[in-house]
Amino acid sequence: MNCIVCIKQVPSTNEVNLDPITKTIIRDGRQSVTNPYDTFALETAVQLKERCGGTVSVLSMGIPATERLLRDAVSRGADRGLLLTDRAFAGADTLATSYTLSLGVRRLGDFDLILCGKMAIDGDTAQIGPELAAHLGIPHVTDVLAITEVGDASVTVETAWQGGVRQVKVALPALLTVQKDVNQPRMPSIAGVKRGLEAPVEVLGAEAVQADAKRIGLTGSPTQVVRTEAPQRDSTAVYIEGDASQQAHKLAELIAGLTEGARA
Amino acid sequence: MKQTPSGFRPMGEEYAAYLRDESRTTGHAETISFPTTEQEIVEAVNACRESGSRLTVQGGRTGLAAAAVPFGGHILNLSRMDKVLGMGQTADGFTLTVQPGAVLSELRKKLAAKKFDVTGWSDASKDALGAFMKSGVWFFPPDPTEASATIGGMTACNASGARTHGYGPTRGYVTALRVVLPSGETLALRRGQVFAAGRHLTLTTEQGTTLELHLPTFTMPKTKNASGYYIEDNMDAIDLFIGSDGTLGVFSQMELRLLPMAPQVWGVTCFLPTVDDALTFTSLVRGMKLGEVSMEYFDGNALDILRRQKAEKTAFAALPTIPETAGAAIYVELHCQTEQEAAEKLFAVGDALEQAGGDREVTWVARTESDLDKLMFFRHAVPESVNMMIDERKKTAPSITKLGSDMAVPDDKLFDVMALYRRTLKEEDLESATWGHIGENHVHVNVLPRNEADYARGKALFVRWAEAVTEMGGAVSAEHGVGKLKASFLTVMYGQAHIDEMAALKYTLDPQGLLGAGNLFAAREGGRS
Repeated sequence: MNCIVCIKQVPSTNEVNLDPITKTIIRDGRQSVTNPYDTFALETAVQLKERCGGTVSVLSMGIPATERLLRDAVSRGADRGLLLTDRAFAGADTLATSYTLSLGVRRLGDFDLILCGKMAIDGDTAQIGPELAAHLGIPHVTDVLAITEVGDASVTVETAWQGGVRQVKVALPALLTVQKDVNQPRMPSIAGVKRGLEAPVEVLGAEAVQADAKRIGLTGSPTQVVRTEAPQRDSTAVYIEGDASQQAHKLAELIAGLTEGARA
Repeated sequence: MKQTPSGFRPMGEEYAAYLRDESRTTGHAETISFPTTEQEIVEAVNACRESGSRLTVQGGRTGLAAAAVPFGGHILNLSRMDKVLGMGQTADGFTLTVQPGAVLSELRKKLAAKKFDVTGWSDASKDALGAFMKSGVWFFPPDPTEASATIGGMTACNASGARTHGYGPTRGYVTALRVVLPSGETLALRRGQVFAAGRHLTLTTEQGTTLELHLPTFTMPKTKNASGYYIEDNMDAIDLFIGSDGTLGVFSQMELRLLPMAPQVWGVTCFLPTVDDALTFTSLVRGMKLGEVSMEYFDGNALDILRRQKAEKTAFAALPTIPETAGAAIYVELHCQTEQEAAEKLFAVGDALEQAGGDREVTWVARTESDLDKLMFFRHAVPESVNMMIDERKKTAPSITKLGSDMAVPDDKLFDVMALYRRTLKEEDLESATWGHIGENHVHVNVLPRNEADYARGKALFVRWAEAVTEMGGAVSAEHGVGKLKASFLTVMYGQAHIDEMAALKYTLDPQGLLGAGNLFAAREGGRS
């Protein structure tokens, strides 16, 4: 069972800061981590390898510093990494990103299963997995909770489905996106950290993967983010005093003020 | 007698929690107050002195030696003095000026987010903050397990934590201190300004009174130590007050030194087959001079408790699975400037592990915040689990409580003291779990009494250990402070003559013996209780 795990570099905290001028997320390389959902995908793949043999490759499109996360994935049980990095990839929406990742998958060669986190915690689109499967022409299952059976030509999985659990058998090769908390991602060992630092991690640009310039980066992205703003939060407490009638009037005035503010 | 200050409230049911601290000792008191300014502290101290009422100072009540538990009189609770008053810039970094009730966890959040309420800050403080905002990540190193501790409480007991192995205790990070003395006068102490001449210290209060203090003649153990007053020749005056367990004065303000946070924080939990292997590993790592900031130990019993908790309780289900072969574990934390440096040191730890009988593959390395959090959860789960066990047992044996040791010995006595603990626990047929700061030869042996008889035998055993540790040149309290619970151990460690010298020093400042009565040594008769 040869698996490919797609991972994304995301800001490490929930307190994301926006650049006051460009309104884009300030991505400080040192603070970045692997998207938490992807860590469950990686652990799923490593457990499959331990169960059925095969290899685990990790794939990412991102800035050059993302190589650190690919090496971290190797320290946690993956065998090799491929990083797609190029200024031409910058500004990609999910369509351009999934197209780029599909080139990476082709570069990595034969595979049985692609595993992705359900979504990334910064974009929250949950589109990359299904779009990547479409680019590759393979079936996909989203929101996977567990892989219950592994056959030569198929896997059976459980997915979260309308408040219940659905069993799905899917032909290989296939793509699965996994839910969070489906396993306990392992920590690396000292020996694993050494393997991570010494592992083969290929770093390729747009030309090397023969990317169609019209389908990558900002040019290849039909979705354009027009504006991003941090919501203004006001947590001022107002004490309303007086008798019940006075309080009710003051409350009504306050609510009226709020709704006017919202309309403006 | 002067009228009682308006802030004094009679003790009622609503204040019952203030009669206890984390040591689970319950005291008694007549009144309580929550001052918000130094002036209010002065008024409270004056009122107590004039009425002859004992006065116990409280911070976060997270102490384990009952120093904040009142034995009569008035409770001066400083939790409402929790402001950060300003920031300073020095040649090598930044300082923070805080009130004593500032809570460690809140301070950490403010430092991490670089967000401070600057109301009332001086222009110089605001300028320092401006420079601080543009500077990297800074932190206050002392890290006691209970982050709800207050800075005042940490200063009063010279608190330590896991990282004390590398950074030292709270003492090294308090650069200035304001103290309200039992006389109601105030002292402003700044490190590096007032020193003793040999064992004689002259202090001048802000009101102009000169105080002549004879310092005790004992020699402190050359180990981690929080047992009694800090005394040495030509010492800095500020060090007498840090770690004085609320017996010499009430802290009203302190200035703290911050350190730049290392860019690479790596932790690794190493598993070893036996306790002896773990001790060998400790010696090997220490010999490598890696500059590790902590070395935390767990014995097989502690690991078994965690294995059971993980299997039985959902709150602990997220604990990583402990390898079956592990009979002991040691957590090592490295703070490094570069990833390469961290990797080299980590691999050196791996070499020591293999040499001691462990396996590089059977380790947990944390290099990300989320992995470091997992390892911290693991470490903190041990004392939490033991407290839960004891609470369960108290249902059938109400008088028992956890018995946790806090003794440290010099490096060359590590094997001896660990052998002593194990041999005597076995002889006495006591259940135990041991964990703690093995890097400083300072483990907490926790006797887990099953019944009253176990409890009595455990208490007696601790006295024997105090004697043996003293003979090894160690300290009977290495970090929790002596408070009220370990006063008898202090007598074992220093002998009655030196205890009398400490008491004499205290009574020079506090003739009626009202402040922190019962801490360090028996309370003086006459103080109204």
